[in-house]
Amino acid sequence: MQTQAKKIKEGALERGLNGFLEDEGCLVFGFEKGEEGARHRIFKGSLDRHTLLNPSFDVNGALYLRRIFSKGARIIVMLRPCEIRAYVELVKLAQIEPEGIIAVSLDCPGTVSSKEKLKDLPAGMEGLVEYFRDTARMRPACRACGERRGVVGDAGLRIAKDGAFYAFSYTGKGEAFLGLIEGEAAGEAPEMLFGESPRGRAFQTDMESFSKDFSPCIMCRNCRDVCPMCYCLDCLFNGDEYLPKGDALLNKVLRTGSTAMPQGKEAFHLIRMFHVSQTCVGCGACEEACPQAVPLAMYFKGVSERLQGMFSYMSGRDPGEAIPYLTFLEDELQDADD
Amino acid sequence: MKTGIFICHCGHNIKHTVDVGKLRDYFGRFPNVVVSSDYPFVCSEPGQDMIRESIEKEGLDRVVIASCTPSLHDELFKDLVRKASLNPHLLRRVGIREHCSWVGDDISRNTEKAIRLIKAGLYAAAHYVPLEEKQVEVVKSALIVGGGVSGLSAALFLSNMGIQVYLVEKEPVLGGRVRMLRDIWPVRKDGEAVIAPMEAALRARDNVEIFTSASLVGFEGAFGNYRATLRGLSGERGITVGGCIVAIGSAPFDATIKPELGYGRDERIMTTVDFEEKAGRLPLPPKPRVAILHCVGSRDEQIGRPYCSRICCINALRVAESLKERYKDSYVESFYMDVRAHPRGGEEFFEDTQAKGVLFTRCSVAEIIPGRDGLSVRGEDTLLGEPFERKFDLAVLSVGISPPPDGPAVSSLMKIALDKDRFFLEAHVKLRPYDTAVKGIFIAGACSGPKDMEEAINHGRASAVKLFGFLSAGFATVDPYVAVVDGKRCSGCRMCEKACVAKAIKYDEAARVVHVEEAACMGCGLCNSTCPSSSISLRGYGDSAIDDEIAALVEAI
Amino acid sequence: MSATEEKTAKDPQIVGFACSFCTFKASEMAGSLRMKYPDGVKLVQVPCSSRVDPAFVIKSIFEGADAVFVAGCHPGDCHFIKGNYFTRRKIAALKEMFDAFSMKEKLRLFWVSAAEARRFVEKVRAMYDEIKEASHADAGKKD
Repeated sequence: MQTQAKKIKEGALERGLNGFLEDEGCLVFGFEKGEEGARHRIFKGSLDRHTLLNPSFDVNGALYLRRIFSKGARIIVMLRPCEIRAYVELVKLAQIEPEGIIAVSLDCPGTVSSKEKLKDLPAGMEGLVEYFRDTARMRPACRACGERRGVVGDAGLRIAKDGAFYAFSYTGKGEAFLGLIEGEAAGEAPEMLFGESPRGRAFQTDMESFSKDFSPCIMCRNCRDVCPMCYCLDCLFNGDEYLPKGDALLNKVLRTGSTAMPQGKEAFHLIRMFHVSQTCVGCGACEEACPQAVPLAMYFKGVSERLQGMFSYMSGRDPGEAIPYLTFLEDELQDADD
Repeated sequence: MKTGIFICHCGHNIKHTVDVGKLRDYFGRFPNVVVSSDYPFVCSEPGQDMIRESIEKEGLDRVVIASCTPSLHDELFKDLVRKASLNPHLLRRVGIREHCSWVGDDISRNTEKAIRLIKAGLYAAAHYVPLEEKQVEVVKSALIVGGGVSGLSAALFLSNMGIQVYLVEKEPVLGGRVRMLRDIWPVRKDGEAVIAPMEAALRARDNVEIFTSASLVGFEGAFGNYRATLRGLSGERGITVGGCIVAIGSAPFDATIKPELGYGRDERIMTTVDFEEKAGRLPLPPKPRVAILHCVGSRDEQIGRPYCSRICCINALRVAESLKERYKDSYVESFYMDVRAHPRGGEEFFEDTQAKGVLFTRCSVAEIIPGRDGLSVRGEDTLLGEPFERKFDLAVLSVGISPPPDGPAVSSLMKIALDKDRFFLEAHVKLRPYDTAVKGIFIAGACSGPKDMEEAINHGRASAVKLFGFLSAGFATVDPYVAVVDGKRCSGCRMCEKACVAKAIKYDEAARVVHVEEAACMGCGLCNSTCPSSSISLRGYGDSAIDDEIAALVEAI
Repeated sequence: MSATEEKTAKDPQIVGFACSFCTFKASEMAGSLRMKYPDGVKLVQVPCSSRVDPAFVIKSIFEGADAVFVAGCHPGDCHFIKGNYFTRRKIAALKEMFDAFSMKEKLRLFWVSAAEARRFVEKVRAMYDEIKEASHADAGKKD
């Protein structure tokens, strides 16, 4: 599929989307400007208070799309690359019916944690790029981001170095999206503001650091609940096995000796880490939701990057790419055995 | 739950290095263990009676037998549990002989290990549920894929035994590789003479349908009821059969894979297959010098053919013999690594050939270079330890056997495995050479490894006998250790469906969950470990049973 | 040395997942041949190595195993045709994860066919000895 580019003017996007929203059953899922900052919003009828950028991260928007199966509704989803990638993975896992959905990814300058409640965050892309030059202001997950460009999904909204705004289509649906917005077809788009993200160092830690970092964990399971990729209807960790109470706990302690509390959290995190290893998009929603400030993003993102890297896989990059554990090559991993 | 634990001494095989009395007493104190006893030979008649009486008297609902390895006496113990009116899948065998008493010397450490192993079995058994042993009706017909000697041999046997036979052959004629052979050793018949009567006999039978210029394009179902689609010149035809024999044969080694031997670049360099075709029309002078090369395409690690092709030494001897007969003053030299004239009479044939004046030089041939005045054969004589170069008028390459080119396609279609050399993998090299891992599908002939004509015919007949055994029973028991989906927990992500090797998992679009086609399920458990919530689980090997086994083995419970 | 460290140093506990058609058969043959290997090695029988869920491996470690191995048929020879190709991917990935946590040596993958009793014994003995030695070294470092 040929990628098409269109240079779009100020206001053309809003006009196009408002035109789209005139039809019944059409929705836009994006961000709204609020007093406390931007938040996710689904727009029906009109695009009031819409804002393209949301530099404050609270939740991965793909979470709200999970188990949308109804056909008929037409939804344009305009979210950050990590959210669109999560959407793409969920489509692969049959957890979202993609028929009426057009997924548009936006160039993302980075985000601060929603816990920060910063009222004076700059509004436009230029301002945010400047603000985040000090990367310490970004969330750790954003600092190590593997893909901040709007290059995933059906279409992308990207900023060129000269500040001009471009829309790209990557699929047939993306072309339909481009068709909604007035602009000039750009044969060859100029250089974009964001380039490919550099590869970070491979994540490396040890069990001592892991135990220490995860010792504040209280097994609330928020991280799992907000993770867009944890789609299981009845998770393995729902029962008492990983958080024994009462007589079960008593019996266990009497058998095994002094026991750190809560029990089973390390196994929970490591098993979940493996379960999402090929689908994790590194958004850091887990860390955002953790009430105990466990540095989850570094671990989950770090491990999943190493494991995805083994198979040259990036979750959510391409809906046609098979999830690595579901396929194999006969001649691979010759050194896997001992 | 009322469990009975029965600990076998196995004479002194277990008792010698494991304190069985201590085991008996230890488990006797467990809650829910109603019976804990030991006995010299639980597999003996009195031993079995003792267990059966215990089950009946105490109303046991779980039985753990700690004895020799679980695969031994499997049916014997299952039967005894059935006779005691208890579902046989509520029995758990624990191996404390091959995995404990025989592999350790220290009594106290072995006993501790046995405690762990039995405990693991005890906790696992607590999760077992009665499993129904379903029976399916078996269609009394067979599909034979491949109309070479082994396929024809199989077809004849099955047809004689009253089984409806469908024989499918991709070439327009039957007979495979044998048809083209002349003067086959040792029967001294032409291939045509071997094939023609077999074919005539089959065509005369009214329970045999032969499809030539046809191939297998679809294959579904499970043992007893396979649905195959055949495509031929007149279109497609679907048939239902109870079982199958794959007899697609092999291919001669493509000598161009060894470019240093010059095959394909000069008509004076030919293979034994070409020699067969060109017999009588060879481009040779009256006193020809002929080189025969053994082991071309076999025993050759460099090109990935490490195996011996079994037939090529005899073939080479036949070529040598026929040359000597046709050209009395010929100089015939055979270049060999070993002469494996293995069949009966082969060694004598080898000696005869030498007596006729054929020279045998042990060496490795490095290359054949065609020139105006003849072919230069260069190599190293391994007995003399010297390089040589000699001129010949003709070089005959005794090519080996390559796996069938349609192997991967058939393997994929029927879900039967190929081995690392790309021949079909039998269930067990020595004990089950005709079975595949899939119930009801057998293999015959050279497609499972190099064979000569006699071996292929016998192999075909043997596979047919095995298949007949299955079909004649009229019904088959479905192994209950298959996967099952908890529809309430399944999130319909279809990962198990994508992974399933047997393609036994199907998605229900309306309900958005998957379900298992039990008859097609092989029982490997890949789906269970693929599913992050274990909503699909393998009966008998579920997460909870294995979790408890692990915990018991590491003393966590 | 602490009590637990001493226990490990004397008696490493190794849990091995062995597939019914290949490795488990080899272990049976090892028994028939009276080959000896450390009693710290205990097997869980599974129909195919592909049944082994990485969660089992992680749980084994957290329940007290000092190391775990997963063993099955050689790739290409799986009784269930392709099961062990999936095992290879999943366990290789799990090893990579263990490596990220600096505990790569706690997980091993073996291909052992039904006839390879000697190979089975050699593999488990070598693994046991290495784990035992490593635990001595660790304990030594702490003292």
